[in-house]
Amino acid sequence: MIPAEPLAAPGAPPTDAALIAAWQGGDEQAAAELVRRHARALARFLAGGGALEVDVDDLVQETFIRAFRGVGRFRGLCQFRTWLLTIGGNVLRDAARRAKRATLVPLGEDVRATGGDPHERAVAGEVAGRLLEGLGRLPRMQREVFLLRAQQALGYDEIAAALGTTPGAARVHYHHAVKRLKEYLK
Amino acid sequence: MNDDAMLHDARLRELAQRLGARAADRLDVDRTAQAVVTRLREQPRVTAPAIVWMRPAWLKLAAAVVLLLGTGLVTRGVVRDRRPAATSVVPVGEDLSDLTADQLREAIGSLDQPMTDESGAVDSGGGIESLSADELRALLRALEG
Repeated sequence: MIPAEPLAAPGAPPTDAALIAAWQGGDEQAAAELVRRHARALARFLAGGGALEVDVDDLVQETFIRAFRGVGRFRGLCQFRTWLLTIGGNVLRDAARRAKRATLVPLGEDVRATGGDPHERAVAGEVAGRLLEGLGRLPRMQREVFLLRAQQALGYDEIAAALGTTPGAARVHYHHAVKRLKEYLK
Repeated sequence: MNDDAMLHDARLRELAQRLGARAADRLDVDRTAQAVVTRLREQPRVTAPAIVWMRPAWLKLAAAVVLLLGTGLVTRGVVRDRRPAATSVVPVGEDLSDLTADQLREAIGSLDQPMTDESGAVDSGGGIESLSADELRALLRALEG
């Protein structure tokens, strides 16, 4: 059950909860709007988790399919986007099991800065590439907590609700992830 | 936390926020949304009963029932297979003294070969023709257990 959410102000875009309810009522355009609203954040999360760029579109689609199929299990304890990202984590894990290649991420252009001095851009790209490699070496919980916190800027309460843990434990996972990533980047 | 550590944390967050930026920018969200809607329309929903049956607890329970039934059937089959061998010995019982040597040979002969093999009571090389009536009675009692 999705908790009651304030109705959107007149002229304001519908809330996620309203779109979910509309989708459950058979409105396909509500589903499409949810995809448009959250697909880019999901793509960043998947790429940060090790997905190859060429696979991102498929993984995004698969994540939304699973989410819409299982939306009845969404309890509204966290935001729809956060819940979606955790499903994305599962999709990515399943894909990695199938392909055994999702963690073998080449240094992508997407992590490189686009402005400034070319040398600085190259250095920044190298560091970001190593960060991606370091993320691939973290336990899944630490990696997801790190991405949800550092990349998606979510609070510990939100992260804990999505991952089925406590805010304190989420904080500890983040701390360990940062510590290990710093050591990896040295 | 000292300034260096804070700077490093901020740098780490900045890098993390850039991860996947190009993949996100390249995503055609309208096309993706349309593809998702099409797939939702074309692929039938998994029905509620199917989901119930797919739950691990139900699967474990079903596996346990199948295992129990299978074990029962196998056990029943084994018992049935052995029953004729047992019945062939039962009539001999306590009346061995009343049987003639030929009747004893016939009773022993009716015993299943595997049983004699397992007990090792019969010497396959010598045969039972040469045994006396008393020896045959002793042998039959030994086979009866």
